[in-house]
Amino acid sequence: MTITSSAPAGTDAPSRRGAPRPTRQRMTQHRRKEALLFYLFISPWVIGFLAFMAGPMLFSIYLSFTEWDTFTPPRWIGLENYTTLLFDDPVFRKVMFNTFFYSLISVPLGMGVSLFLANLLNKKIVLRKFFRTLVYLPHLIPLVAVALIFQMVLAPEAGPLNQMLSWVGITGPNWLMDPAWVKPALILMSLWQAGGGTILLLAGMNGIPKEFYEAAEIDGASGLQQFWTITFPQLTPVIFFNLIMGIIASFQVFAQVFILTEGGPDNASQMAVPMLFDEAFVFYNMGYGSAIAWILFVVIMVFTAIAFSTSGRWVFYETEVRR
Amino acid sequence: MRQRRTLDRRTLLSGTVAAAGAATVAGCGQIFAEAEIKEPDPSHTRFVMTVWGGEPDREAYQARVDLAQEQFPEYEIVLQLIPDANYAQKVQTMISSDTGPDIMQVAEDINVYSSRAQLVPLDEMIAEAGIDMERTFGDVREGYVFEGSTYGIPDRSGAAILYYNRDLFDDKGIEYPTGDWDWETFLAAATELTEGKEQFGFGGASWWPLWFSLIEQNGGHVVDPDTGLPQINSEEAVDALQWAQDLFFAHEVAPSEVDLSNMGPDMGPDGAFEQGLIAMNSTGFWAIGSLAEGDLNWDVAPFFRGREQAVSAFGSALTIPRSARNSRGSFEIIQFLTGVEGQGPIASRGQDVPANIDVQTSDTFLDPEWMDEDVDLEVFPNSADMISSRQFIPEWNQMQNTITDATATFWLGQRNAREMADDLQERLEAFIGPSSS
Amino acid sequence: MSALPTSSPTATVSEAPGAPAVLRSRRPRTLKAFRAGPGTYALLTIGSAIFMVPLIFVVSISLSTDQTVSSGQLSVIPREFHWQNFVDIFATTLPVGQFFINSVIISVTSAFGQVLSSSLVGFAFARLRAPGKRIIFYIVIATMMIPAQITMIPQFFIFTELGWIDTFLPLIAPQFFSNAFNIFLVRQFVTRIPLEIDEAAAIDGLGFFGIYWRLILPMMLPILIAISIFTMTAMWGDFMGPLIYINSEEKMPLALGVQYLTSTSQDLQTPPWNLIMVGSIFLSLPMILIYYFGQRYMYEMNLSAGSAGVK
Repeated sequence: MTITSSAPAGTDAPSRRGAPRPTRQRMTQHRRKEALLFYLFISPWVIGFLAFMAGPMLFSIYLSFTEWDTFTPPRWIGLENYTTLLFDDPVFRKVMFNTFFYSLISVPLGMGVSLFLANLLNKKIVLRKFFRTLVYLPHLIPLVAVALIFQMVLAPEAGPLNQMLSWVGITGPNWLMDPAWVKPALILMSLWQAGGGTILLLAGMNGIPKEFYEAAEIDGASGLQQFWTITFPQLTPVIFFNLIMGIIASFQVFAQVFILTEGGPDNASQMAVPMLFDEAFVFYNMGYGSAIAWILFVVIMVFTAIAFSTSGRWVFYETEVRR
Repeated sequence: MRQRRTLDRRTLLSGTVAAAGAATVAGCGQIFAEAEIKEPDPSHTRFVMTVWGGEPDREAYQARVDLAQEQFPEYEIVLQLIPDANYAQKVQTMISSDTGPDIMQVAEDINVYSSRAQLVPLDEMIAEAGIDMERTFGDVREGYVFEGSTYGIPDRSGAAILYYNRDLFDDKGIEYPTGDWDWETFLAAATELTEGKEQFGFGGASWWPLWFSLIEQNGGHVVDPDTGLPQINSEEAVDALQWAQDLFFAHEVAPSEVDLSNMGPDMGPDGAFEQGLIAMNSTGFWAIGSLAEGDLNWDVAPFFRGREQAVSAFGSALTIPRSARNSRGSFEIIQFLTGVEGQGPIASRGQDVPANIDVQTSDTFLDPEWMDEDVDLEVFPNSADMISSRQFIPEWNQMQNTITDATATFWLGQRNAREMADDLQERLEAFIGPSSS
Repeated sequence: MSALPTSSPTATVSEAPGAPAVLRSRRPRTLKAFRAGPGTYALLTIGSAIFMVPLIFVVSISLSTDQTVSSGQLSVIPREFHWQNFVDIFATTLPVGQFFINSVIISVTSAFGQVLSSSLVGFAFARLRAPGKRIIFYIVIATMMIPAQITMIPQFFIFTELGWIDTFLPLIAPQFFSNAFNIFLVRQFVTRIPLEIDEAAAIDGLGFFGIYWRLILPMMLPILIAISIFTMTAMWGDFMGPLIYINSEEKMPLALGVQYLTSTSQDLQTPPWNLIMVGSIFLSLPMILIYYFGQRYMYEMNLSAGSAGVK
């Protein structure tokens, strides 16, 4: 994980199949050129980062130690925002619980749903293009429209969801008004939008050489066995990508909450970013909002780091990621 | 080689920090300067006016701006309509980067800006222009005064009124409501007009402007007008809240949230009234437009009274943000827009109730072309005296959010008024301090 | 990793190019993994019903009259067919045609910028070795963990300083510097391309840039199309950026127009839901078409040199 270990270690390159081994002297020159080219290739990102991101990020770190209403000059208050948030703000505690609840349930479920859909849509079905478009549609419809529709779908007695539940003898909850059910309602909505991950999985599935399946079929492997021994391992880089993006996006869930529930009832569905938005843009406590952002940053970082650290054990790359 | 690489990294790192730091200082420099009001610059003749609303609002505002443009041919007046859900955020971004509008519409959140010295105080210019604020706008003007200075000129202002379904009243042989109805008369009529879950006497008062009114009517205050401190758990306030909640769950004369959602998805009291499922409903001016197009037999009356007469008003004012380049010019335009001629289109287009009393009582408003039904619009000027002067505290937005949070289960019947009010009071005290005046 | 059973089939990859011709000719029917039985169709029916219900709502509401909307009588199944709404939407004072052109300019330019920059940066992270690369990659990923809302005001300051307010530049320019999502995406896909291909090319005298330009870039096509679809749909649907940075009506994109439809002068007023749904349909239609017709380039492109693909 350290820089030093990665830099010179590559020089005595692990013998790569088929590649002739150049002399040590040439290798170093070659590596210098390679490194130079790396910096050149990533320069668009570096320039963009320095121009548009780094300043605002540093600025918001500074702001998190101040009280700033966005109009008058900020006032330095040290760690006060952080200590208040961590030890003295019952709403923030509730909000962090909600955010964890939402992320830890919606991410695995969403990945499962998108993998299931991808496997289904990768088969040779009629109207395949139509069905594949259908799962992506929830991403194309403006959220304001989606919010109204979900209010209707989740209506207590007249809504289609509870009506369907009543056919099987279940009295559906009062989804959006019941503190116990409003988070599951948001998770349901996120699952409806799980099709975004499906696209990448489909693109990934398409890259799996068909010979693998042919060989497996000759060996008499069942469909399920083929899925677990070929499809899944081959897709792990995409699944890993979906996992990381899922973690980052779910901890930062904003528009869905903001538009569907506004965090209600009584903060039962309030999440970190909508709270941060309220603090910064509704209550004019930009410093406090910035502190929330950086606490959230650390939380996301921890979860992402955990995911990265496990990746070596289950993510299968065709070749090692070169460092 | 090794050394060289470390150097590269170090250069890279220090470069990053230096560049980022420079960007921050350059970009954000202006926020470290103390906000100050600019000397009016007469050579600045382009005025941006920000308002929110929908298509009818855009048309009404544009018609007014066109009139102002005729009046001031040397000025260029640009109307900028912003979606209401994003208005505050957009103007906040504009003002904080010193690119704010020259004229800005504000409502209850006016003191968010005035308390932070983001608005130009208007008293001097009002005096110079010789505007009689009290005669022109009545008590509504007091809402836009903060710590003794006026920051906004009332532009639109209409009280909450009581809409009623004539047919349902006639069926039961009940007299139509008047402004003299008190809580008992009202409740008796509402009970009479309710038929199980099929028909309800009243749309309910769970929306804040309505129960704010009830608290005032009962002699209480949400925020004490003298100290600026919350008073939501006073006897008077709790009794009023309990009465409002009882309309849903004890007397069952108003549809609860669940009842409403069973009438149809996206159903509120306004829609249910329009469908004839509710005999009386209290809301603002805006319901008139769609009712006038429908075929319901309806009319309007002033909101009922309690021990005292009090009712909330919905309105907005025009202000000058401190970033305005030519505040004198801005004021001239505002003066025109809130004058008799400039207010005309609000009334003639049926957009809202004009704040200017002369226009409110003129035929332009009372007998407009767009209304062919026999509806008594005089209810608006008649309600003007009842409007309780409200405390638009600087923490208004946070107060609203806290109220929504704390009352969520109350309006579902899961807590009584005393329990809720004590909880709400405690939450409000956490961030509302005594006012400095 | 070696514990995974797949390491054996991958070993065959380099041999694959020669083999499939024989295999294909012996393949009489669809492989089991791609065969769709009754079970598949049953699941599809249930799944598409779930996806469809909300969409039927959209259509149903878009065909309602104003009266139905203001009295809250919206229904799941269309009960009335007020096609006039699809005409009325163009009768507002808003320049809808101009909005459409603006949306096209913003989203196409952005997609172009992202494809250009992300393929370069992503390739570098997947294939080139350099000191500090890991740290830089973690910084790239970390930039995604900061909520965009919190950097919005300082970013607005920067764009104000640059004099870019009320132009497309604050929306488009950042897209030419790639973003973390796309970099990561390209990196993940490129790492699935066997390194042997690069090495063989290197022996043939191709430099790193040649490998990128002549070898890897064409193979990246599916993912670059995915990136352009993602970027285009994201920019097409985004109204927050334009809302903050654009002031003049004639520079606004379509998505902001739909947001305008939701605006009322009082928070309790019912917005014209029928027109909002019509607007939403018009707004999503171009992207649906692009996706419908563009997907074959994404899915049916063969990533691996050896596979014949299922057609």
